[in-house]
Amino acid sequence: MSFTTPYFTLPKFTYYKPDNVSEALSLLKQHNGKARVLAGGVMLVNMMKERMALPEAVIDIKGIGELKGIDITDKGVEIGSAVTASELQKSEIIKKRCQPLAKAASYMGDKILQNSVTIGGNISIGMPSTDGLPALMSMDASLEVRSADNVRTIPSSDLVVNIGRTVLRADEMITKIVVPHTEGVTGTYAKFLNASEVAISTAALSLSLTQKKLRIAVGAISAKPYYFDQSLLGWKWDGHLEENIKTSVEIIGSSVKPMSDAVAGSEYRREVSKILVARALKDLFGGA
Amino acid sequence: MRTITITVNGLSREATVEDNELLLNVLRDKLGVTSVKAACWRGECGLCTVLLNGLPVKSCMTLAVEADGKEVVTAEGLYSDERARKLQESFVEHGAMQCGFCTPAFVVTSHYVLSRDPEIDGEDLKRELSGVICRCGTYYQIYDAVRDARKYYKDKNL
Repeated sequence: MSFTTPYFTLPKFTYYKPDNVSEALSLLKQHNGKARVLAGGVMLVNMMKERMALPEAVIDIKGIGELKGIDITDKGVEIGSAVTASELQKSEIIKKRCQPLAKAASYMGDKILQNSVTIGGNISIGMPSTDGLPALMSMDASLEVRSADNVRTIPSSDLVVNIGRTVLRADEMITKIVVPHTEGVTGTYAKFLNASEVAISTAALSLSLTQKKLRIAVGAISAKPYYFDQSLLGWKWDGHLEENIKTSVEIIGSSVKPMSDAVAGSEYRREVSKILVARALKDLFGGA
Repeated sequence: MRTITITVNGLSREATVEDNELLLNVLRDKLGVTSVKAACWRGECGLCTVLLNGLPVKSCMTLAVEADGKEVVTAEGLYSDERARKLQESFVEHGAMQCGFCTPAFVVTSHYVLSRDPEIDGEDLKRELSGVICRCGTYYQIYDAVRDARKYYKDKNL
């Protein structure tokens, strides 16, 4: 990312504010790969300032009511993709049933940006720094992806292909997030930032003692988060917590391949991830 | 070009804007609202913070057309609110500024924070104000000023 460009202007585009999802999707189709969806704008507007995104059309979906719901249905908790980070933190449903997500939302940018940041935007940019994606993966969430002609559901773990690249086609957008089996599931989210507030590592944990399910997603250390469940971690439900944590952390440490970049080296990211997971597990089981 | 209508500090204002203009530019250059400061242009410093339909947003990250039909409140508009006036006096009493460039954004943001939670303190207060940066580093005076102004937001008569 260049810091020398003057960011005071945006490239030319036509702004659309559709009233509903199908109108938004037909606009996306009509512009055939040259339109971008604007939700919170936190990423897109800056990318346009840097001329990293040059859409001919910008489709503002923020005001679409269908994308703003947080509901409990027979599938689980359904979250509209335009729900903001502030709304996630305030929602009683999210606080009670999607704890990793409620906590992750409190780390999305600062308190002011959280009024703009949306969960759909946070995950669909496909950047390693997303807080939403590890939280959703730890809860085995799936994503409803729609285009003008099609609806498909994908596991949240399949969304990102590489840094900045997702499986979403240019005419598609995420409309809904479905978090299954949320009853009695507790969880937490931990993040370690460097001095410039760039993530070194993140860890999202979900735990169901009744179903004997423990799921961990480690984020910000590679293109997409790493996922572990109780069997991968060799978790013994009748074992000692200290032993379990030690084994899990060793398994995670030896299976991840963290990236090295200007922010942190691979080995540092690995060590930080192990410490984050160990602390988060202590927190989670201490409170369970 | 299109004409948009924004209620700025209680007054209905019209502006002719391009689709790609930022709310920050339109407020400063077309509507003359200069308490909204332009500094980092990338959503980090928070000096361009305004209340858009009651919620703090960074106007360098917001398109002007997004504000069409909505209400914008800036530091100028807080003058009609007695509590906010006392809050501003508290900033002065505590010397909560050095160059003063961040003050309007801190006033707007802390007005929003205190209106929601007049009991706020400690780490919560710091976190709530984390979206605005003071390069002079007068944070502790700002926290003191805001903490001191809580009494006005608890006062039902104001």
